[in-house]
Amino acid sequence: MTTPSVLDEAQLGHLRHWDDLSRRLPHDWSGMQGKGAGEDDFGSYRFQLAYMIYGLALTHRHRLPAAPGVVRPTIQRLIEKLLMPDVWMYWRDASRGGMVMNAHLSEGYHEEWDPVVRDNIMYSAYVQSCALLHDVLFADDRYAQPGALTFEHWSFFWGGEPKRFVYDRESLNENLYWQMVQNGYLGIACEPNCVFQICNQPAILGFRLHDVITGGDRAEEVVAGYQKAWADFGRLDDAGHYNQMILEDTKVVAPNALQAPWVDAWCGALMNTWNRDFVRENYPRQVADFLIPGPDGTISVRSTPAMNVMGQTVVNDTCDLGWVAAWASEMGDRATLDGILAHADRFMNPTWRDGALSYPRNDTPTDADGNRTDIEPMSGNVLIGYARLNVPDGLHTLYQEPWGAEHFAEPALTEVGRDVEVSRAQVVDGVLHARLRRRSGDEATVVIDRVPPGARLRFDGQEIAADGTVTLEVPPGPARDLELVP
Amino acid sequence: MSAPTAIGFDLVDHHGTPVDAGTYRGSWLLVQFGFTSCRVVCPRALTKLTAALDGLGDDVDRVRPLYVTVDPDRDTPDVMKAFLTTSYPRFTGLTGTPEQVEAAKETFRVFARRRADPEDPDGYAVPHTAMTYLVDPDGRWVRHWPDTAEEETLTADLEAALAA
Repeated sequence: MTTPSVLDEAQLGHLRHWDDLSRRLPHDWSGMQGKGAGEDDFGSYRFQLAYMIYGLALTHRHRLPAAPGVVRPTIQRLIEKLLMPDVWMYWRDASRGGMVMNAHLSEGYHEEWDPVVRDNIMYSAYVQSCALLHDVLFADDRYAQPGALTFEHWSFFWGGEPKRFVYDRESLNENLYWQMVQNGYLGIACEPNCVFQICNQPAILGFRLHDVITGGDRAEEVVAGYQKAWADFGRLDDAGHYNQMILEDTKVVAPNALQAPWVDAWCGALMNTWNRDFVRENYPRQVADFLIPGPDGTISVRSTPAMNVMGQTVVNDTCDLGWVAAWASEMGDRATLDGILAHADRFMNPTWRDGALSYPRNDTPTDADGNRTDIEPMSGNVLIGYARLNVPDGLHTLYQEPWGAEHFAEPALTEVGRDVEVSRAQVVDGVLHARLRRRSGDEATVVIDRVPPGARLRFDGQEIAADGTVTLEVPPGPARDLELVP
Repeated sequence: MSAPTAIGFDLVDHHGTPVDAGTYRGSWLLVQFGFTSCRVVCPRALTKLTAALDGLGDDVDRVRPLYVTVDPDRDTPDVMKAFLTTSYPRFTGLTGTPEQVEAAKETFRVFARRRADPEDPDGYAVPHTAMTYLVDPDGRWVRHWPDTAEEETLTADLEAALAA
C-alpha cells in the first residue's frame, strides 16, 4: 500500500470532525457519550481524545508532514480537554478498588484524587504520550514547562479546598518510569491490581518519544524488562490471542477468554511500535477469528456477547469494529481495511456536517438482514478516521524513525486558518508542494515559514516573492496548488 | 513517583556491623541489589561493575560499592562475605531482616519477587531489578544505569560524576 500524496474527501472529513470536536465548549461532550456510565470503559472520553491525537500525529508524520499548522492547534486543544476533570474524575472512585475481578482487595485501597500518581495507566500514559507526541513532532517544549500538565478540580457545591496536581512532561514521564521500574517492568496497573498489556503500550511509546528528546535509552530498557517480565506468563494465551492482563497480587493471567476482537486489535496495533515481527506473525491467524464477510466485499467484525457478572449485564463500548480497522491499517492489510470501511459506509450511517465526517452512535445491533449497525462514539468519531488516515506500519515508523533536525529546517505551513482545507503538504526533493482549498468562512490565511532566501513561490498560477515568512490568503473556489521552489 | 531522592537504609554489613546511609557519608555509593544464589544476572553485573571501577584508577577509593541482598532469608552476613570476598572483593554486602531489606528496596524503587526455581538447590530464585545506582557523598541519589550499560559507559559516567 503506497501513501497517496493527496488526502481524499473522507480523510479530510475525519480531520474536520476532529477539529470540530476539539473546539467544543468546555464540558460539551455531545456526540461522544457512549453506552457505559462514569467514564469507566473503553469508549471513554480519554480514549477518544487520545486516539484523535494519535491519529493527528500519524497524519502529520505520514501524510501532511509539511503542515504542522493543520494538526498542532488541534492537538493542543485536545490535550487541554484531556486534562479536564470530566475526563479523569472517575479515578477518585476507581482508585478505591473493588473491580469485579479483585473486589476482595478493595479495603487495601483509598480514594485518590491525583489521577496519575499511582496506577491508572489507562489515563496517565495517554497524557504522557500525547504531550510527548506534540513536543517531538513540533520540536517544542510546550509541555515541559512547569505545571504544563496540571490536573485541577474545584466545586462551589462540595469538596472543600481546590484539588490541584502539578506535573509537566518530565515529571510525569519520571513518575511512570519509576512505577514501571518498581513493578519489575511488568507494567503499571489500570484499575488497582490489574495490569493490562494494552494500556502499557502507550507508556512505552511515551518513553521512546522522551528518549528522542533527551537522547536517553529508557524505552529500550523498559522493553527489555517488559519482555523478560512477561516471558514468565506469555504474551499470548493458549488459543493464540493476546493475554489481556495480569493480577498483580496473585500473578494470575487473564487470557482473552472470550476472544474479544478489541483485545487483540488494540494490543496488536500499539505493540507494532516495538515488536513488529511478533505482531505481524500472529496477525493473520488472530484477525481471521473476528471477521464476518458481508455483501459486495464488505467485512464486518463480530463482537462477543455482553458478560454477565454478579447478576449484572456488563454495559460498555467494545469498539471492536473500530479497533480491528485500526489494527488492519497498521498491518497494511488493505483488503480487510477496505472491507471494513465499505461496511461502515454502507451500514453505519456515515454523516457529513459542514465538511466533517463521522458515524454517529447506534446501539441497534443489526439491520433486518443481520448486518452489523452497532457502532460506538469511539469507533464512529475516532477509530474509523484513524484507520483511514494511518499508513502501513504508521505507529511503527513513528516510533522507530523520528524526524531529524533536517525536517524542522524545511519550509512548512505553520499556521492554517480554520476554513482552509489542506489536502497535501509535503517537501519532495526540496520543493514544498501543498494543495489548499477555502471552505465557506473567513479564516483563510496560511503562513508558510522557514522559506529559504531567493525561493520562488507559485500559488494559483501566480509567482509571489518569498523569503523567511510568507502569509497568503486562500481565495474561494476550487483547490489550488502551491509550490515553493528553493 | 519520582527517582529515589531520599536515600535511607538500616541494614547490616557482611561483617555483621549495623550500618545506615550515614555510615558511608563522604563516599560515593555504587549500589547494586541482588542475591548470592543468582546464577546469571548478578555475577555478570558484579563482574562488569568491578571492571568499571578498576578503570577509575586512584579515584576508585572515593567510591564505596555496595551489594544489597533481596534474599535476606539465605543471604546472611557470613554468606555474603564468603560470596563477595572470593569473587568481588571491592563490594561490601548488606543484608538485614526481611523488613529492613523491604524498606531499602522501597527507597531505591527496587522490584524483587520470589518464585519457584527447580534448578536452585533451595527451590527458589528472586528475580529482581538489576539496575545500578549512584549516590553522592551527601547521601543524595545522582543517577542510575540499566543492566545493559556497558563497562566503558559506566567508567566514563563515574569519572564525570566524580569530577563534577
